[in-house]
Amino acid sequence: MEIRNRAFQITAMLIMVALAFTCQVHAKEYKLGLSLAITGPTSDAGNPYAKGVEDYFNFANETKILGKDTIHCSIRDDQYKTSVTKRNFEEFLDDGIVLYLNYSTGSTLGLKKDFEEEEIAVIPASFHAGNLVDSNYIFLPIASYSEQVVSLAEYIAVHNKGDKAKVAMFIHPSAFGRGPVEDAEKSIAAGLNIEIVEVVEHGKDLDSTAMLKRLMSKGVQYVICHTVQSPVAAMIKDASRLGIVAESFGQEGKITFMGAHYTGGNDLIALAGKAAENFYWTTSYNITSEKNDGTEKQLALAKMYNRDDKAANSHNYANGIMVAQVATEVIRRVKEKGLKINRENLYKELNAMNGANAYTPYTTVGPVTYSATDRAGVDMLQIYSVKDGVFRKVGQPITSEFMKKIK
Amino acid sequence: MSSNQWLATGNFFTAYKQEQRTFFTHLDRSVFSLFLALLLIWPMVFPLSNKYMLVIDSTLIAIVAVMGLNLVTGFAGLISIGHAAFVGVGAYTVAALCRVLGDSHGLVTHFWPIVILAGGLVGAVFGAVVGLPALRLKHLYLAIATLSFQMIFEWTINFMTFFNQGQTIFVGRVFWFTGKVMRREHYQFWYYVTLVVIILSGFGIRNLMKTRYGRCLIAVRDNDRAADAMGMHPGFTKVYAFALAGFMAGMAGALHAYLYRGVGFESFTLHHSISYLAMAIVGGLGTLNGSFWGPVAIQFLELQVEHFSGFAGEYLPSSMNLATALRPLTFGLVIVLFLMFEPRGIANWWRIVKSYTKKWPFRY
Amino acid sequence: MSYFFQIVVSGIVVGSIYALAALGLVLVYKSSRVANFAHGQLIAAGAFIAYALTVWAKIPVFFSFIISMGATFFLAMSVEKIFLRRLIGEPIISVIMVTIGLASILDGLIYLTPFGSENFSFPAFLPHTPLSYGGVSISWTQLVGVIVTMVLIGGFSWFFKKSTVGISMRAVSDDQFAAMSVGISVQTVFGLAWATAGLSAAAAGCIIGNITGLNFDTLHAFGVVVFPVVILGGLDSILGAVVAGIIMGLIQQFASGYLDGNWGLNGTGEVMPYVILLIILLFKPHGLFGIHEIERV
Repeated sequence: MEIRNRAFQITAMLIMVALAFTCQVHAKEYKLGLSLAITGPTSDAGNPYAKGVEDYFNFANETKILGKDTIHCSIRDDQYKTSVTKRNFEEFLDDGIVLYLNYSTGSTLGLKKDFEEEEIAVIPASFHAGNLVDSNYIFLPIASYSEQVVSLAEYIAVHNKGDKAKVAMFIHPSAFGRGPVEDAEKSIAAGLNIEIVEVVEHGKDLDSTAMLKRLMSKGVQYVICHTVQSPVAAMIKDASRLGIVAESFGQEGKITFMGAHYTGGNDLIALAGKAAENFYWTTSYNITSEKNDGTEKQLALAKMYNRDDKAANSHNYANGIMVAQVATEVIRRVKEKGLKINRENLYKELNAMNGANAYTPYTTVGPVTYSATDRAGVDMLQIYSVKDGVFRKVGQPITSEFMKKIK
Repeated sequence: MSSNQWLATGNFFTAYKQEQRTFFTHLDRSVFSLFLALLLIWPMVFPLSNKYMLVIDSTLIAIVAVMGLNLVTGFAGLISIGHAAFVGVGAYTVAALCRVLGDSHGLVTHFWPIVILAGGLVGAVFGAVVGLPALRLKHLYLAIATLSFQMIFEWTINFMTFFNQGQTIFVGRVFWFTGKVMRREHYQFWYYVTLVVIILSGFGIRNLMKTRYGRCLIAVRDNDRAADAMGMHPGFTKVYAFALAGFMAGMAGALHAYLYRGVGFESFTLHHSISYLAMAIVGGLGTLNGSFWGPVAIQFLELQVEHFSGFAGEYLPSSMNLATALRPLTFGLVIVLFLMFEPRGIANWWRIVKSYTKKWPFRY
Repeated sequence: MSYFFQIVVSGIVVGSIYALAALGLVLVYKSSRVANFAHGQLIAAGAFIAYALTVWAKIPVFFSFIISMGATFFLAMSVEKIFLRRLIGEPIISVIMVTIGLASILDGLIYLTPFGSENFSFPAFLPHTPLSYGGVSISWTQLVGVIVTMVLIGGFSWFFKKSTVGISMRAVSDDQFAAMSVGISVQTVFGLAWATAGLSAAAAGCIIGNITGLNFDTLHAFGVVVFPVVILGGLDSILGAVVAGIIMGLIQQFASGYLDGNWGLNGTGEVMPYVILLIILLFKPHGLFGIHEIERV
């Protein structure tokens, strides 16, 4: 009797397993790949980014955004090394991915030719304007670093009291840092009413007093930073103890510090503490200190997958979610049209994401617009500034005027 | 190292000429030829995916680089913590040609063997220059001098507009007799090229070690004062060791540039220098076959850790930190454990296996 | 002119922090002839332990600094006991590589904690306004850093000159066999050297962490940054570390204060120490204060 019972159980289980398999045959799985720095340099940004991507794809699969079909996104750590990224990319190609998500500026530039040859659409986490040069397949999620920096410069030009504002730039010693400098200079040549007094490439300085005093003596009123958080934090701490940080925007005789996407966020406040007060930062993402529907959804997603507060409130988590959202959306659109999900169709669909077809993810302040000529996603930038230890909105989202002129 | 020390039952040589032969027995020669033939044939029989072919290619390039490092650190006993910079010098020689001539100029795409050699030569020149402090410095001080070179190299590349400030400089696709080497056969093609480079330089180094120019390296390592007393010039020998290492590293760099079809400074940082050292140690310092074992072992380890992290990541999504911590952890553990328990590296296991099979079934 | 003096003051401040970070390297090398490439990780570990104690365990800042020093004291001692004791008498390349391997292991262990990839900063506990005099200013954090450095260095100098243990440590560094024959336990001395190095690393970590914020990449990079300092000063001289630390601090500040932004140069503060180092090594191979070893066949 017992044996028969056991046999029955086993058959039942086998049938169930078989059923499960047949069910899966109908549902398709679309493969995506993401290679990024979860360890090594910039991992403080890469870590929440990876979590954002992972969580959103899980969410998309669980809530059946693509119906029965699912997305399988392999996430690989490349430690910020281009050679490892290349290996990961080759592996993803072998797996048959339809869309590729990349991370660093260096590897995006390094693999540019491979993307062209493979004709695969790529969404990197690097917003470097140089990514778009000689390339057709790289789609920046939001406005490029150049656009961010130029927007900040425009903001200065508009809001500065008195004549020409004197500006210094504080940049990362790499391609990533230097990229926007050229575009800022071009904008000035095109009539932007500021003057770049000095461009400082930082090292691992323990003390920026000398540099800050030099800037003060040259009459600099604004410093636009384009680097990662840690050096900015060290600098503004020094500035704060020298008492030269402006208490309001453009305060006479003091310096107002400003920065692009990767200089800001909660990490900056975590590193610099009180010194971060009145730091102006621009990005295209909604941040959780300014609550709205989007940030609520972001926090809910983080809660769903048990992320800690730090990850949940990180703008890089939002960054990851947004990239995953765009990827999911473009797959959904291709599917809706009844076309096959392949590289070619996804690429076409991404290029068609504009006008009435523009897509607004809940994580950004504006819609994502791609076209054959404009492959920077969200063109709107929101300026935030630190008030009482949190980033607060400054005015409404803006777009850069001069970036259009210098193109 | 002369190879007679592991000869089965003793030294029967009656003339120096006999001792200098490459193969001692016909069996040796046929086994070796068979092995070579196998290396040449397998990619055609079992074509691998691009990823694994890329992994194998970069392992082979690491072998070329480690052969150089083994010359300077293993045979000549001079610690170099800047080997990746020499590899970088070779790669940037190719990159410089591409910057000056354009990345698909005939010289770069058609005469690539010459470019690879040129990479080696430029590497050798830099090796000799960096080796100059070895005239006066020893031990740790010398190690730090090579570390300085590494730092200066990184800074120079990173700040010079000519080198695109460390951003990728593209290298065009090369031509072979059958035409342009396209993406499909790219990795296989460079597998063969690198293999040929390894075989040639392997024989080169093996033979070098049988001449006075090779033996003087070992003499200087073992005791430079004594070597001095025997009429060698320890200073010049050290500089020459660095130049040799620079040559191998430069070739590896040029191969790297062609394989990845681009040169960016991230591939030549201090971290890579340390990896090369780890490969040399795990393989076995001061042995030729150690240069083959080390890179293979380290690369294999890295892939396994990656698989495991991927595996752990699938099942424990919140343990991302655990999965990523494994890589440095295992890398460090392997180095430390090898140094503590098998300082002579995998080459020593190879020696044990070899002598065991030779003597089998006898124990002595 | 105040710009010049500011650079001098900044240089001295930065330099003395370098000296403190370099001290640990010198202590280890002085007694056991080991160059420790894992020093940066010890610095980072010290800073992180102090942070965890202050913020998570709510221990007052000064106490947590002291506890953190104690913790790294034992951490470094056990590192020596487990890994380095076996390697006594091995060639120098093995010992260097073991410390490099150790650095990698510690990296892995730190990545297991939140500190590996997130940013933190110490709660402020010193007055915010800096001290200024005639246009030259110095922050309290920096001032405390300099004072701690001087106290520690003075303490170690006294320790090596006067105390019995210190003298036995010097004896070991001079000649291990002779030291053993007069009844000094070489193993204890090695352990102690590492432990004191760990202690000074934690002190350096706490000070640097207060200045830059707690970012693992920034902190462990100091392990490499201080190498030019110790080499310049001579690997086995505490005085050398102090003098060389300050020289390097000044070189760096002057390079970034006067070279950067002119002639298209940038980031010279990073590379100048290494350039100067290479030049000095060519003329004084044992550093400024290092003992010139006489070798015989």
